[in-house]
Amino acid sequence: MSLAPVLAADALVEEAASRAFSGLAEKWFAGRITREDLLAAVEQLGFADASPTSDGEGWLAAAAIIRAQARAAAPIDMALLLVTGERAAAIAYDPCAYACAAGARAPASPAALAALSLGRCLQIGAAMGAALELSIRYVQDRRQFGRALAQFQAIQHSLALAAEEVAACSAITDLALACAAREGIASKRLPALLDAAALVAGQAVNVVYDMTHQVHGAIGFTQEYALHRHSLGLLRWRDHLHLARGGDIGCAERLGDAALEAGSAWRAVTATMTPGAPHG
Amino acid sequence: MRFHFPIFAFPPEAEALRAEVRAFVADELAAGRWKKGGDFASSYDPAFSRRLGARGWLGMTWPKRYGGHERSMLERLVVTEELLAASAPVAAHWIGDRQSGPLLLRYGSEAQRAEFLPRLARGEVFFSIGMSEPDSGSDLASVRTRATKVDGGWTISGRKVWTTFAHRNHYAIVLARTGDAGAQRHAGLSQYIVDLKSPQVKARPILNMAGQEEFNEVVFDDAFVPDDRLVGEPGNGWTQVTSELAFERSGPERYLSSIRLVEAALACAKSKPTPRVREALGRMSAKLMALRTMSLAVAAQLQNGEAPNLEASLIKDLGNAFEREQIAVFRALGSELPGRSDDYLSSLAQATLYSPSWTLRGGTREILRGIVARGLGLR
Repeated sequence: MSLAPVLAADALVEEAASRAFSGLAEKWFAGRITREDLLAAVEQLGFADASPTSDGEGWLAAAAIIRAQARAAAPIDMALLLVTGERAAAIAYDPCAYACAAGARAPASPAALAALSLGRCLQIGAAMGAALELSIRYVQDRRQFGRALAQFQAIQHSLALAAEEVAACSAITDLALACAAREGIASKRLPALLDAAALVAGQAVNVVYDMTHQVHGAIGFTQEYALHRHSLGLLRWRDHLHLARGGDIGCAERLGDAALEAGSAWRAVTATMTPGAPHG
Repeated sequence: MRFHFPIFAFPPEAEALRAEVRAFVADELAAGRWKKGGDFASSYDPAFSRRLGARGWLGMTWPKRYGGHERSMLERLVVTEELLAASAPVAAHWIGDRQSGPLLLRYGSEAQRAEFLPRLARGEVFFSIGMSEPDSGSDLASVRTRATKVDGGWTISGRKVWTTFAHRNHYAIVLARTGDAGAQRHAGLSQYIVDLKSPQVKARPILNMAGQEEFNEVVFDDAFVPDDRLVGEPGNGWTQVTSELAFERSGPERYLSSIRLVEAALACAKSKPTPRVREALGRMSAKLMALRTMSLAVAAQLQNGEAPNLEASLIKDLGNAFEREQIAVFRALGSELPGRSDDYLSSLAQATLYSPSWTLRGGTREILRGIVARGLGLR
């Protein structure tokens, strides 16, 4: 008996979005396109209309678009645009702005908070993946002491640790995405999954930000090299995610309370992860 | 993404099974049949293993004609995670159920399957892993135990070490050199089912740091092994050994080793939890959800006949770091736990003393990170 995964990735949308956002990002960073043109181009592509509905319909396509935007470091905040429809905020997004300047407006409704949190987690995961890929290519090319950096075991293990964190973040984010797509954005267990995703993403950002810059040396710390675009994006999204959810300690305390209420951390975890299980 | 962990869900029948296992565990504890103990490799109780066998919870995924129950990898995962979460005494059957049985199913002869699998599934015979040697730890391909062809079989000579419960188990699957190592050093290795009670095999327990007899040194002094105890093809040992890895590295035993400590701390804190305890429980739960999602993905991929070895290594490294982190966190919170229970203190001591073994057994942290790096294209 063969098992089918719960989430079937929207590969076609993701590929089209990746191509489009890479092209737009290239123009933007070369200074050949204005902010207004950028948003107009996105609207023309139809991505701006791909917003998921509250019953979860459209989340897979939206996730593919959000990930593609974050991977390309294209300066349109697709999570904000798709899940809240805030075009003004999306267009003002500048990946090179100081991370904590993002502001931390908490969305008005629990559903909007859930949607935005999920969007942020998807962006963080994709940006970390992009930073990791850039690091892999860099250590394969860069030579010191007569050999590629990739041949040093210390470098291999640093990036292995970063990859493990990226994988953990993607796994819990996809679990939350599956919940939103199947049960709708108002699913009772979604807030707990997003609290978990926010915490895992937060730790992953710490490790990935550290390791990817460390293996790059000084060049990673410049604006002429692309790593900073991914770093600033993921720092900004991480901060916004945590602040909007009441801080990462708030996320942790809520999950801890669920464990205490269930009388067992294991039972709370299995209940939260079980579709249709009563949770509260 | 270099690593893929697709999202799978436990089917409804698996969740029904979870309730069944929880009820069984509650009955066992209420009847005082065992106390919550150490991790999967330390609490040995053959009678408990036989009760699991009677319930159909050993050899769950194996064909019925070999005494199995033809259930899915996900149902097996439900049983293993619930038993580990309860710190049940699973050590006697663990290796046979997880590893030796699936190995025989894949590479063993029809006669071997018919002889061993039904007894493994009933919890009647227990297996050890005969891989490490005094001079071969992480560098497994350097094993020197040798099997020499003789009339009607082979004779095995050499020494294995860290062979968990070899002094109590019935058989070990021994990796031995039978031919030339070749340029890659992976050629010329073969696996044998060796009777640990045979007079030419001597198992000597090695007391561990916690004062327990689990490890053994096993000496093979021209131990005769009949032809029909060779597993698979001679010279194919390396391929066979590495095919076990996804089973060995991705399971819940790689992140639940300190769960008893967490639950004991929670029980102490329950009446008056401090913010720091609530936060620690929450951070732990978040990471556990991520690990469990990944572990479920690998179980489902195994069910689908795939071999997610890289992903399995990644889970083990992440999971081992996680289970060790909980010791530091919940030790430090001791001063915030009113009425620290015996359960808390003994599980803290147990986890602390055993934790060095977690990041060694089944592939060291360093080996695992090397495998993950290979998956990244760095080696």
